[in-house]
Amino acid sequence: MAIGQDATDIVKRADEKMRGEKSSYSEMTMQIVRPAWQRSVSFKSWSKGTELSLVYISSPAREKGQSFLKINREMWSWNPQMNRTIKLPTSMLSQGWMGSDYTNDDLLNQRSVVTDYTHKILGEETVENSSCYKILLTPKPDAPVVWGKIVMWITKETYLMLKVEYYDEDLMLVKTEIGRELKTMDGRLMPTVYELLPADEPNNKTIVTMNLIKFNIPINDNFFSIQNMTRVR
Amino acid sequence: MSYLKLAQRNLWRNKRRTLITISSILFAVFFAAMMRSFQLGSYSLMIDNAIGAYSGYLQIQNPDYADDPSLDNTIPQLEEITALPQKVSNVKAVVPRLETFALASTGNLTKGALVLGILPESEKNFSHPQSFLVKYRFTNQAVRNIVDNPNITEAIKSKVKILEGEMYPTEKKLADALGDEAIDTTVLNIIKRECHYNGRFISASDSEVVVSSRLAKFLNLNVGDSIILMSQGYHGSSAAGIYRVAGLVKIPNPELDNKLIYMPLSKAQDFTGCYNLVSYWAINLKNASDESLQNTQDVINNMLDSKNVTVKTWKELNRVLVQQIESDNKSGIAFLVLLYFVVFFGIFGTVIMMIYERTHEFGVLISVGMQRKKLATLVFIELIFMALIGVVIGMGVSMPIIHYYHVHPIALTGNTAKMMVDMGFEPLMPMAPFGPYLYRQAIVVLVMVVLASIYPIRRIIKINVTDAIRHR
Repeated sequence: MAIGQDATDIVKRADEKMRGEKSSYSEMTMQIVRPAWQRSVSFKSWSKGTELSLVYISSPAREKGQSFLKINREMWSWNPQMNRTIKLPTSMLSQGWMGSDYTNDDLLNQRSVVTDYTHKILGEETVENSSCYKILLTPKPDAPVVWGKIVMWITKETYLMLKVEYYDEDLMLVKTEIGRELKTMDGRLMPTVYELLPADEPNNKTIVTMNLIKFNIPINDNFFSIQNMTRVR
Repeated sequence: MSYLKLAQRNLWRNKRRTLITISSILFAVFFAAMMRSFQLGSYSLMIDNAIGAYSGYLQIQNPDYADDPSLDNTIPQLEEITALPQKVSNVKAVVPRLETFALASTGNLTKGALVLGILPESEKNFSHPQSFLVKYRFTNQAVRNIVDNPNITEAIKSKVKILEGEMYPTEKKLADALGDEAIDTTVLNIIKRECHYNGRFISASDSEVVVSSRLAKFLNLNVGDSIILMSQGYHGSSAAGIYRVAGLVKIPNPELDNKLIYMPLSKAQDFTGCYNLVSYWAINLKNASDESLQNTQDVINNMLDSKNVTVKTWKELNRVLVQQIESDNKSGIAFLVLLYFVVFFGIFGTVIMMIYERTHEFGVLISVGMQRKKLATLVFIELIFMALIGVVIGMGVSMPIIHYYHVHPIALTGNTAKMMVDMGFEPLMPMAPFGPYLYRQAIVVLVMVVLASIYPIRRIIKINVTDAIRHR
């Protein structure tokens, strides 16, 4: 273990590396795999800091034009067919986003891995030929999070999250996220494919592929507004 | 002289006594038939309400649909199934349906709804949804106008105030709601005019929907308003749409009336992304008896063997209803047995009375040389005679009544009706049509007469002639 390497610092650097210190723009394809079928959804995503993000669905045609806006801990969705903006109620937070294994809550509460948890290095392990820190994240007593604990594997030199395990309140494994296919994108080495594997449904998975990512783009705060949700392309 | 002739003469000799015995048998048959008919009638109403008028006696589904009725377990719209009524003689009608749950919302109100994609033209001959179309509604305005109308009595006005918001598909239902006594035609016409409600049923090419009355009431919906539907579609895609309301329907089953939205099948397929797919096909049969239900199921299953679909009967699909009917039937039979006891002792009482009255006569007959066995046979034949007459008249009396209440079921009112509606039943007490159960009641009563005749036969065999002659 590197001396002076604080667990919280490692998690913070890994988190920033993935989303850009200030802002980012990315284009991704999400493939939803089920035993009997699979389908994919493409989307564009803008984010600024940890508080603001906007997602625009670009395919398939049936769902094109829908957008999702996150400001702090609130989420809205816009549907062009209905011509309506809907604020997502708490009851919908645990539902799958666009039918995938990612829940709406996953999209909302990304940033909290740094602020809402205490971090502790459990040891070092090798994941996909890279040696990683194995870090345990325990939620702070009053943190509004759903997980009982999180275990992360972060590469030593490059601070990449290669594997994350999410556990519920009873400390049972709920899902595992695996980062693969390390490539350099916009000057950074990072996993370009993420696989999400729900623990209770071994035949289901969701694969997210990064097609394009740009870090620290200039973007105004009022880009992330309900008005802009309906205009963004 | 033959026994029959003697028996007939004996019966005619004391007409009043014969009449009393016959009437006790007659009432036994009458009450047993009435009670059983009401019981069976209410079961068939339950089945009609839930099965014939909605889910169908048979359904063709994806084999996984029963465990997970989601849009991912749908089946293609197969030509073979559309052609079933021509191919299988017992199939009366077959309709495709696409069922999905959605959030229905208007303004700030949202409620879970069952979106049912249908072929309106075929459905009109199957579940008759167009017959539920709301034609009269006590809207705010209608109630105000009626209350302001000087030609209407206070009694009716106070009733109308209570009925605010209620909807009715027919003039008869509207009149029934206003009270049991007949209402003056002119008053009824005024009320009809004020409550008249526009709306039409959807046709296949429409992009509009028809909403059930209680759901519409909750969402504050009127014809011409828009309703937003949100759901998860085929393979987890998102489903959303905005639809104009073409009409409202008042569905007899209150549970469905709380949540149903009819949508043309093609629009429902668009909405969910289930192109050319249906949740199930509902089949109604010409003959729905247990045996032909089973046979037809097997025939269709064999026909569609290669298609990865399965045929289920309503008994497999609606176990709750089957159990409800079974348990109700058990208690019904218990009551019937109780009734049998009561009527048996009624018959037995009149038989004993008759025997005591005729003890002197029997004594004289035996003392002048009538064989006891012959006398016993004669009395037995007399009893059977009376039983047959009683049963025939009993049937004759009950049949028109049964037929009348089969065609015009007793409509329950007040709290009983409310309770039944809350439990999901139509508040009606119909009688079952004629069936083998009627003959069974007749047979049971005949058996009772035979049992009741054991005592007189024994008495004749064992009678003490001197005592009997002195008996007055």
